[in-house]
Amino acid sequence: MIGAIALSQERRDAAGEPVKRSTAVRVEICEQGLNDKDAWPDPLPTATESFELQAFGLDQIPPKYVDDGIRGARPSPSMVRFSAVLELPAGKHRFLIRARSAARLSLNGVLVVETPFPPKNGGDGSQADTERLTPLNLGPGYRFAPRGEYEKIAEFESDGGLFEVRFDVFAGGREGKNPRRVEVGETVVAIARSGTEKWELLTPLSEAIPYSDAYWEGYRTRVAKIVFDHSVAKRTALRDKNSAYWASRRQVASTWLSSTPEVSVPPLPEGLLAENPIDHFIAAKFATVKSQNRHKASEYVDFFRDVKPLLESRCGDCHRGMKAKGGLRLDSEEFARIGGDSGSVYEAGKAVESELLRRVRSTDSDEVMPPKGSRLTEGEVSLLTRWIDEGASWPELPLVRDSFTGTVDDAVFIRRAMLDTVGVPPTAEELLSFMSDSALNKRTALIDRLLEDPRWADHWVPFWQDLLAENPNILNPTLNNTGPFRWWLYESLLDDLPLDRMVTQLVLQRGGEREGGPAGFSIASQNDVPFAAKGAIVSSAFLGVEMKCARCHDSPSGAFKQEQLFQLGAMLAVRPLNVPETSSVDPVKLNAGGRTPLIEVTLLPGSTVEPKWPFPAFADPGLTNALVLNTEDQREHLAALLTAPQNERFAQVIANRVWQRFMGRGIVEPLDDWEKGAPTHPELLRWLGRELVRNEYQVKSLARLIMNSAAYQRAVDPALKMPDPLYSACEPRRLSAEQIVDSLFAVTGKPFVTEPMCLDLNGRRETGNAVDLGMPRRAWMLASLSNERDRPSLTLPRLQAVSDVMSALGWRGSRQDPSSTRDIAPNALQPAILANGVMSLWLTRLSDDHGLTEVALREQPIETLVEELFQRLLSRSPTEREKAHYVSWLELDYATRRVSNPVIEPRPHVVPKLITWTNHLQPESDPAAQERIVAAKRGDPATPRIEPRWRARCEDVIWALLNSPEMIYRP
Amino acid sequence: MNTQWNRRDCLKLALSGAATSIVRPALANAGSASAASILPLGKAEHCIFFWLGGGMAQIDTFDPKRLGDAKSKPSRSGSYYASIETAVPGVRVTEHLAQTAKVMDCITAVRTVNHRVVDEHAFATNLVHTGRMISGSTVYPSIGSIVAHERGAVDPSVPAYMLIGIPNVSRGPGFLGAKSGFIYLTDTKSGPAGFTRPADVDSARATDRLALLEPLRDRFPTQSTPADYLAAQVEALRLSGPQFMRHFDLEQETGTVRHRYGGEFGQRCLLARRLVQAGTRFIEVSHNLAFVNGTGWDTHNDGQLQQHVLIQEVDTALSALIEDLKRLRILDKTLIVVATEFGRPAAFDSGGGRGHQGTAFSMVLAGGGLNHCGAYGVTDDECKEPLENPVSIPDFHATIFATLGINPQHELLDGSRPVPITDGGTPIAKLLS
Repeated sequence: MIGAIALSQERRDAAGEPVKRSTAVRVEICEQGLNDKDAWPDPLPTATESFELQAFGLDQIPPKYVDDGIRGARPSPSMVRFSAVLELPAGKHRFLIRARSAARLSLNGVLVVETPFPPKNGGDGSQADTERLTPLNLGPGYRFAPRGEYEKIAEFESDGGLFEVRFDVFAGGREGKNPRRVEVGETVVAIARSGTEKWELLTPLSEAIPYSDAYWEGYRTRVAKIVFDHSVAKRTALRDKNSAYWASRRQVASTWLSSTPEVSVPPLPEGLLAENPIDHFIAAKFATVKSQNRHKASEYVDFFRDVKPLLESRCGDCHRGMKAKGGLRLDSEEFARIGGDSGSVYEAGKAVESELLRRVRSTDSDEVMPPKGSRLTEGEVSLLTRWIDEGASWPELPLVRDSFTGTVDDAVFIRRAMLDTVGVPPTAEELLSFMSDSALNKRTALIDRLLEDPRWADHWVPFWQDLLAENPNILNPTLNNTGPFRWWLYESLLDDLPLDRMVTQLVLQRGGEREGGPAGFSIASQNDVPFAAKGAIVSSAFLGVEMKCARCHDSPSGAFKQEQLFQLGAMLAVRPLNVPETSSVDPVKLNAGGRTPLIEVTLLPGSTVEPKWPFPAFADPGLTNALVLNTEDQREHLAALLTAPQNERFAQVIANRVWQRFMGRGIVEPLDDWEKGAPTHPELLRWLGRELVRNEYQVKSLARLIMNSAAYQRAVDPALKMPDPLYSACEPRRLSAEQIVDSLFAVTGKPFVTEPMCLDLNGRRETGNAVDLGMPRRAWMLASLSNERDRPSLTLPRLQAVSDVMSALGWRGSRQDPSSTRDIAPNALQPAILANGVMSLWLTRLSDDHGLTEVALREQPIETLVEELFQRLLSRSPTEREKAHYVSWLELDYATRRVSNPVIEPRPHVVPKLITWTNHLQPESDPAAQERIVAAKRGDPATPRIEPRWRARCEDVIWALLNSPEMIYRP
Repeated sequence: MNTQWNRRDCLKLALSGAATSIVRPALANAGSASAASILPLGKAEHCIFFWLGGGMAQIDTFDPKRLGDAKSKPSRSGSYYASIETAVPGVRVTEHLAQTAKVMDCITAVRTVNHRVVDEHAFATNLVHTGRMISGSTVYPSIGSIVAHERGAVDPSVPAYMLIGIPNVSRGPGFLGAKSGFIYLTDTKSGPAGFTRPADVDSARATDRLALLEPLRDRFPTQSTPADYLAAQVEALRLSGPQFMRHFDLEQETGTVRHRYGGEFGQRCLLARRLVQAGTRFIEVSHNLAFVNGTGWDTHNDGQLQQHVLIQEVDTALSALIEDLKRLRILDKTLIVVATEFGRPAAFDSGGGRGHQGTAFSMVLAGGGLNHCGAYGVTDDECKEPLENPVSIPDFHATIFATLGINPQHELLDGSRPVPITDGGTPIAKLLS
């Protein structure tokens, strides 16, 4: 039994004021003066930051912010100190402390209880760690330690009065010599007051906070908000320090804008409508192409249907782009008409004399085209002959439709707009309130509101993850893995960081590699030349220059050479790059087979390439000296060359990507390889690029323009299989995996509860081998489940259920390379996993926490229930036929569906089996994992409040609505 | 894809993955004067690919050496068990492979497989599945996906590529796209994910649900992308029905057969045989039953003590599968592969187990109509380096492809970039000639 003397009433603090009961618990983070010796520092270090909590309970340390407000790495170990003055009535109380590492609780300077330092080893998985991983069980209602925290209990006798409570805990530490994650697990001081068995969080406040699962959930939500606000303030303060520099960049942009000619907005052709300049560009192009296609008649060869696919598939590999073979480009009419190095290859109306046909018909293996693969078929040759003889018509674009579709109605508009901005459909309330709003500008107002919604960030993170190949592995990253820079992406989007500043942060690659800073981008585990890989990502993402080929050889069709990629990579690396043999092509292999190889190697293995801006055509390397702070830093130069307004390509590439996200098709396709395609609307593209610069590189400014246009608001033509390049209608567009998963949870109201994305729950491993990606709240937060080891004890079954759905729908958990588009072609697994999968079982079953359970229980006519289900799930009312169908199905037993005295089974109080890296190879771990798999597949129990037979019928209706194609297609 | 196919064809192909046999990529026939065109291609139709995750110790299984002693101080390197003779004179295996030894004439233990990559499970697992080092430029497909892509399912009404094990990216389709991916089940008690209805949905309820879905399916024109999805949905719901699901019902087998295959791993092999009969092209069967000895095949420290139980389990299942396929006269058209990410050294670690070794290890081929010889390649006394006939991972892959009638020099297309199916691999001529 430990006791301590209460503080005397006369005791005064440093300022001479009497010590009073605290109004909050002060939390201080100390980073300096700590070492890895597993000993308490003396004297205690001073704090580097602090904030206040309601109680002695914390499950996350705020991220550290450095530089321009990006996440950094805290020194490991760091320390967290909790302190408060509180009143403790006379009596014998029990204290419980829970902490991941060493912790000590003292009252008025007397040590009450402490936990030890954890072992230095990270374990090979077979440790007899049973004691730590079997949580204490102090009876019903007791909250089990969730992540293998140390738990210690001590009795303390108080004579009453005020006590100064201090609770010091270590966070992080070392595995051998390497840092562990600076985390605290669930760190708590709880008290069972004299004469009670009830545990409460220790707090100086009068309101008790029971330490139970239910109350902890509410408490940790409040902690999360405090940590969030603290973090925002830290980021803002750091960025404010750089505001002068960015103001000067804005000045440069505005000078550039005024010194360069504006794009003139074309007049609106007669009979067409416009909401803003975008519609002028679209309408003008539509009118032009319509006139070019005027003589379309079915008996003639159709260029787009018949000829273009042939030219692309059989000639396009060589006769395209700036390095076309023989100087002949068959990717635009202008170039095709001119011909190649040896002159014209066809003349309209004269097929027989054309070089084009002579070569495809040739029997000489040195002359025949194409040089590799099968010959053109007779049918293909005759098609080309007819096409030339009929005049070689080559309109700019196909005329897919004669006219524009009308504007969508309000219900479709809000569903479309929300899916496109925040990634989920409206709630029934949002839908009805928008529909009943009579304001004329309500669409514009909704767009404004959605652009301010923090869920915008959730919807846009996947775009950047794909583009920049964010690829964290939660276990031993060896598959071209990066750090988890998703957190930097998310916060940049949340904070509306201007795009030039965001790209600058990316290129500078500062902050914490494993803590979520842009430094995580610089990593490519087990990659022979990481920065060459990064160079290819940067060039395709921001300049529309695809340099993947240049990794090992000069691009066969592109204008760019391997050396240029390595120059760019060297800028990112801030040092010369060597070319290893593994990043080249063996000349023997290259020349095998006889004919001239399609590719060339002009940079020999063993060469060293110095940093150099490889794209003078996009931006003059001389312009950056005025734009960078440190002229010696190649990364700064690179960031400035990419993002300077003079580099019009950058703004246009981004504008094109944003445009594609909303409109389904880029003005230039492919998005990441502009050499292969010409813009359909070049003036619009330039105009959008300038608007981005004018609006201080805010992507949302483009989103606002696009969403307000008539082109965006046009109705779907369901027969369109591809987006119309003239934007006469919207095509049915399958939603992304993230949109579908998030929408399914959002519309059903089923909480998105999985499990921590972490295989090292108790933080015993080094940061480099085990990151913690947290408890996913939205689909983008998933990653590869990293179980290459194929071990049941390393499975995360609830995450697997979600990952299965997302993978079937085209999401990649492992992003080893960047991508601008996803594979969304239908296959049988997609509807199967949505119909039968484990996640769908959770979403369909009316459990007590399911959002539709209350709806089903509500006292209302059955027709209203059906209406509401349609509104919630599909954002529309049912047709009369649909309503009749579902009403008749639900009618039976509807009046008696409610169970009057439901038997609510209490949650069983069973000590959970924790499985984590340190014990995953113990014999009992696999069977425990199997139980978890079974539990995940079983799902939550159905509510006892609804009679089972009717409930099953209601679930069947929900199943049908969720499996409707409307659920996965954008309206 | 060629738009002239009808939708149903597309779907079948999407599921079974045979696309290239119809559309030949332009660069696909490059380098035609190749070793493969001289070497005859095999005629095997199916592949059952055992995965012994963790790293099977070759010296304790298919490449035995003199006996060592893990317990002496200092420990003495060598095999942990005695070896026995097999049906092939001169070829010995560990005593715990006694049943397999009797059918060794249908088997070739390739003892000189080697790679020299970082000794990390995930990395080596990826290499052995894809045949390539990772790259930041693309994601390479697994061997199962490549086979599915090249040959499709034997019967287009079933998936081409199935996995009995845990999904991961190494087993995935990489740049070939989802249509060449696997359908998986984690064990024989759970059906294939996505196609197995929840326990509380019987066929009557499934029929009710379909009727409820019907009005919502009518809203799209027949020539549209949602209609393509709807057609896939019909196919999905068909696969959830008895016609496909019956293949997973091991109760259909006699007690004698089930008993002969042994425990859970054996039952997985039996299921694989049923899937072969149903027309699946490639089945990966994971032996991830680590609780048997704690570590599974990753036999560090104490994992060594019960390693023989794992070996016996594989012995029973492998020999049963060979006998059963022989009985059904489909052994020659079914290639069995026993694969693992690396081997283990002859020396013991401080805990009496073994570490990792990629410089030489064994992988096993059986059936498939190959010219088997019990063992191929010779390693040194420590099993550490190949002495004769080294076989690289690309060579091993090339052998599998060739056995399945796939030209190992064929090129896949990643977008417009031609990617040779193996990284310069050459099939083991002796087995194919």
